[in-house]
Amino acid sequence: MQEIIGALTLGSIYLLFALGMSIVWGSIGILNFAHGAIFMFSAFICHQILKSYEAPFVVVALLGMLVGSAMSVLMQVLVFEQILKRSTSERSADVRILIGGIGAGIIPLAIAEHITKNQAFGLERSSFDIHVFEVADLRITNIQIITLACAGVLAVAIGTWLNRSRQGLALRSIGVDAEVASMMGINRARLATVTMAFAGALAGLAGVLLTYQLGALTPDSGDILLVKAFACVILGGLGSTLGVVTGCFMLAAAETFVLTQTSGMWVEAIAFGLIFVVLLVRPVGLFGRQEVRRV
Amino acid sequence: MNTFYDANIVLIQATFVGILLALSVQVPLRMGVFSFAGAGSYGIGAYAAANLVIRQDFPALPTLVLSGVVAALVGLALGLVIYRLNGLYLAMATVAFDLTVGVIAVNGGEWTGGANGLFGVLTDLTLPIIVVVVLACVVGVAITEHGRTGRRVDAVREDPELAASMGINVRRYRLLAFVASGFLGGVAGAMNVLARTTIGPADVGFGLVILALTMIIVGGALSWKGAVIGALLFTWLPEALTLVGEWQELVYGFIVLLAGIFLPRGLHGLYVDGRRGVAARRRRSRLARVERQMAGEIDSDAEAEPVAVDERVGS
Repeated sequence: MQEIIGALTLGSIYLLFALGMSIVWGSIGILNFAHGAIFMFSAFICHQILKSYEAPFVVVALLGMLVGSAMSVLMQVLVFEQILKRSTSERSADVRILIGGIGAGIIPLAIAEHITKNQAFGLERSSFDIHVFEVADLRITNIQIITLACAGVLAVAIGTWLNRSRQGLALRSIGVDAEVASMMGINRARLATVTMAFAGALAGLAGVLLTYQLGALTPDSGDILLVKAFACVILGGLGSTLGVVTGCFMLAAAETFVLTQTSGMWVEAIAFGLIFVVLLVRPVGLFGRQEVRRV
Repeated sequence: MNTFYDANIVLIQATFVGILLALSVQVPLRMGVFSFAGAGSYGIGAYAAANLVIRQDFPALPTLVLSGVVAALVGLALGLVIYRLNGLYLAMATVAFDLTVGVIAVNGGEWTGGANGLFGVLTDLTLPIIVVVVLACVVGVAITEHGRTGRRVDAVREDPELAASMGINVRRYRLLAFVASGFLGGVAGAMNVLARTTIGPADVGFGLVILALTMIIVGGALSWKGAVIGALLFTWLPEALTLVGEWQELVYGFIVLLAGIFLPRGLHGLYVDGRRGVAARRRRSRLARVERQMAGEIDSDAEAEPVAVDERVGS
């Protein structure tokens, strides 16, 4: 039972991280390789600010979201828009977006590694104490409850927004056919910026929550999370909110299972193995839609 | 010369390793296969070489070749599994492959030495062996850039459907990309182990992908010359920029970012474009002179140069 709580919290962190990535990728077609760096750097900025000011939890979380969305919008405006403007074909744009993302992701990582001297950093000075509640035999901390609640509420809200609202429809239509969508009067650039800001805020929130949960975060944790989130997204199927939710909790459950049943050294390999299996057996993922391509 | 060689032996070896590593990522990119598997192959080749030398006492040259073959076979197996994937899916699957190699390196027990790695990989490796092996690899890659093969590779990259309709076996070329990438990466890894005599999990991480990408994006992604330019630049640049020192990673990030945005074909592409521009201007001015000649504005004793200039500039 205790393991189930652990798996659910881990899955919630994956979910907060992967949701933004999945929406951006599924709609405006950008796989942001700097998403992991944004996640880590948001928590890092909070850590730096908490060094000189004391702040309650809510302020730290909001700050993390703010930093995350600011970085994400900067990426969109300074990197991805520029690349799209200069690319001739969709395929070459894909390659350059990936490379631009990798390059941009190195920068915050290098800054954080330099300042922390490659050590883990935490959010010690925030006026927030971690309580442990015991119900029956189960132990759950208040930060775990907050994480679960955030992930649950946000996933439901985003899923509903994407499927019910007009803007959600507009965003999904860009994912299906950007050209036709623009003919229908959808402002792609504006919607893309909003989506990126949103995805960045989610990554920032995930960073702050995970740092509180673990007590500390290493600068390179974002890169590993990026590949795991990728595994979650392709497991569930690109473009499906329900798919991402399923993918995240399945990965978390599998990892927790291996961690408790074995010596735990192979945990990191699960996500990578999962990517292979899914791409082989069902490339569109569990809930993905089949892409129709005509030559 | 000798003192220069002695003082910089590590950098000279690193340059040759860098060329092979850059090629192992560049060759699949040039065939339109967006694969970063070269970094994983580097790790496989490195550990294969270390085991061959420590357990079987292999000499340097056979170790290099055999490690390359092992990595090429793994590359072929990987290719058979994922060659159908496209674009970003393929890229991420190969990143997962690279990271898996890293996990195996930590968990491989006595075969990989765990977190500490393997030590004492001593062979008769000399600079001539390195040069010959790298030269052979570069020539092999360069051959695929010219003539019929070169045009086929270009077609497979630019438009796989069109290439298939012209009778090119796209599947074979895509698989070949994985095999070639595996071999080049494997030899690079093996060479690095033999030169350094040690290998550990830290040497085969994701950083290799970034290093190789930096080299070919800045150097140029469509020619072996780009890989050589990149390898030279990023092996010697840190030495030249001691000022940058600990901010090296940051500078790399900016360079990759800027090159990705503004310089998609790298320094080599810039050079080719520049030469094309000069050739076009020269052609125009010659044309103008000939026209004036024909109009009788210039004395007929001025030598008329041929109008036709070979438009093809070596790429």
